[in-house]
Amino acid sequence: MTSPDIHAAQRLTPAELQAVSFQRAPLGRRGFDEEQVRAFLRQVEQELVRVLNEKAALENEVSRLRDRLTGSPPGASVVQPEDAHIQAVRILSNAQQTADQYVADAQRYSREIAEEARRGRDEILSDAQSRAVLVLEEAHRQASNAADAVAPSTEPMSGDERRDLEREIAYLRTFSDVYRTHLRSYLEALLRNVEEWAISERDSLPGARSALPRMD
Amino acid sequence: MDAQRLKDNFAQVAQHGDAVALFFYSDLFLRNPRLREMFPVGMSHQRDRLLSALGRIVSQVDNLPDLVPFVQQLGRDHRKFGVEALHYPEVGASLVATLRYFSGPSWSAQLAQDWTDAYNLLSKVMIEAAQEDASVRPSWWNAQILAHERRRFDLAVMRVLPDRPFGYQPGQAVAVEVPARLRMWRYYSMANAPRPDNTLDFHVRLVDGGPVSPVLVRSVAVGDWIKLGPPIGTMTFGERSGRDVLLIGGSTGLAPLKAILEQMAARPAPPRVHLFFGARHVDGLYDLEDLQKRAAGLPWLTVVPVVSDHDPGPVAERGTLPDVIGRYGLWRDHDAYVCGSPGMTDATVDRLLQLGLSHDRIRTDKYADA
Repeated sequence: MTSPDIHAAQRLTPAELQAVSFQRAPLGRRGFDEEQVRAFLRQVEQELVRVLNEKAALENEVSRLRDRLTGSPPGASVVQPEDAHIQAVRILSNAQQTADQYVADAQRYSREIAEEARRGRDEILSDAQSRAVLVLEEAHRQASNAADAVAPSTEPMSGDERRDLEREIAYLRTFSDVYRTHLRSYLEALLRNVEEWAISERDSLPGARSALPRMD
Repeated sequence: MDAQRLKDNFAQVAQHGDAVALFFYSDLFLRNPRLREMFPVGMSHQRDRLLSALGRIVSQVDNLPDLVPFVQQLGRDHRKFGVEALHYPEVGASLVATLRYFSGPSWSAQLAQDWTDAYNLLSKVMIEAAQEDASVRPSWWNAQILAHERRRFDLAVMRVLPDRPFGYQPGQAVAVEVPARLRMWRYYSMANAPRPDNTLDFHVRLVDGGPVSPVLVRSVAVGDWIKLGPPIGTMTFGERSGRDVLLIGGSTGLAPLKAILEQMAARPAPPRVHLFFGARHVDGLYDLEDLQKRAAGLPWLTVVPVVSDHDPGPVAERGTLPDVIGRYGLWRDHDAYVCGSPGMTDATVDRLLQLGLSHDRIRTDKYADA
């Protein structure tokens, strides 16, 4: 199940193709794109099923013709309904395979959308985090400058203590100003995003709905 | 009945792989159209399961001590699908027709007799096991959702109340079916030891593209009904070992471990327990608050949160579960219980073996990614 060693003497089956899984390439070595390999395996598996189906049908046909050639009339008329049943089985099997294909496509479609949404979420979160760090750093820098700019006190009486307090006040005032400005512009940008999102959803919904595979 | 003849014939037929199961179900539904609605629309998983069960049965057809329990379990498992004794002959007829079709010229009256005898024997075992089971418990339980809490956009913790008493061992799981996805059963572990009020907790993580988990995480609401199959699973607590315990859960693999934890807490002298709870990101540690609250009141319990994909700072250890467990020291005298994705479970078991734990002291439960 877990390693791609398939006995040479034994024929490769679709089930083996489905169960096959490869070891990861060792660190530092490059490997193939996993999704592409998986998609290709899926394709090969479907093709193998089709070929095997055809082969089984042909073998059956051959033995039917052989029976007719060797002239075994006792079964000749009885074979008819049997053939019809096999024919029906084949048609139903094809229909089932088509249905399976649709279901698999729909599931892949929804998985891809979900994965994309998950990536988008991670990007937005990490973007917001680095923005928050930047805003804080910027506020701190400007506030420090403002504090440094506080003129040395003219009254020697109040001394260091008073100057420290003034520096502190200047720092805090600037910090909160800068922080508020950044926060406001960021929130406005977010609001714009939300509005655009609503608009694009409204616009795309009828189209998206008809593009989805039907599953009733 | 010649076991080797059955094996040889099946090996020949099985070369056709999926086509065999495809033919079987088409034949079955054509002869018995009313059976179709017992199956889901998409049948590919169903066919895989049929082929692997058949393969296992045929490979053990001359080893009854191993085969019989497996077949009995199959019989019990099929009760929740609504399978009854009268369905068995219909399945048997289609099975023989399928084998005959794919055997081509090598089919013989003798083979037909062998297969029919083998099938009759096995279906008798299945039916008897099902009937015995029916005398002690229902085919399925209906359960109503009492509470549903989204812990993250893709994680939910919910509580349900079954309509009849539901007995199980902590660590076990049940097959769950939701009305929005009929005939698609998915396994979830109970996250609590049995309670006097009969309620059950489940932890559900949304699998991208999966059919059932998105419904359970996003769509179900308090008051909705779901169906539960009978409890199954062997990752249960070894009461008598007396050794200290190591619990290792990745994401919602935590659920059965929490049930076992509650079971241990109810004992007069609980063992020393280390619980490692791992996720890729800090916000994936969806149940950490509750675990830490418990640990604060239980001197024998140590909870270690683990985050693999980024630096979690002081709130958790950084690394994969096997790495962090390796860093923490020696577990040679412990019983270990491991539950999570197949990759996480395998890697953790490998590491535990390297650390000197023997196989018989490790119990595992893997959850499928579907």
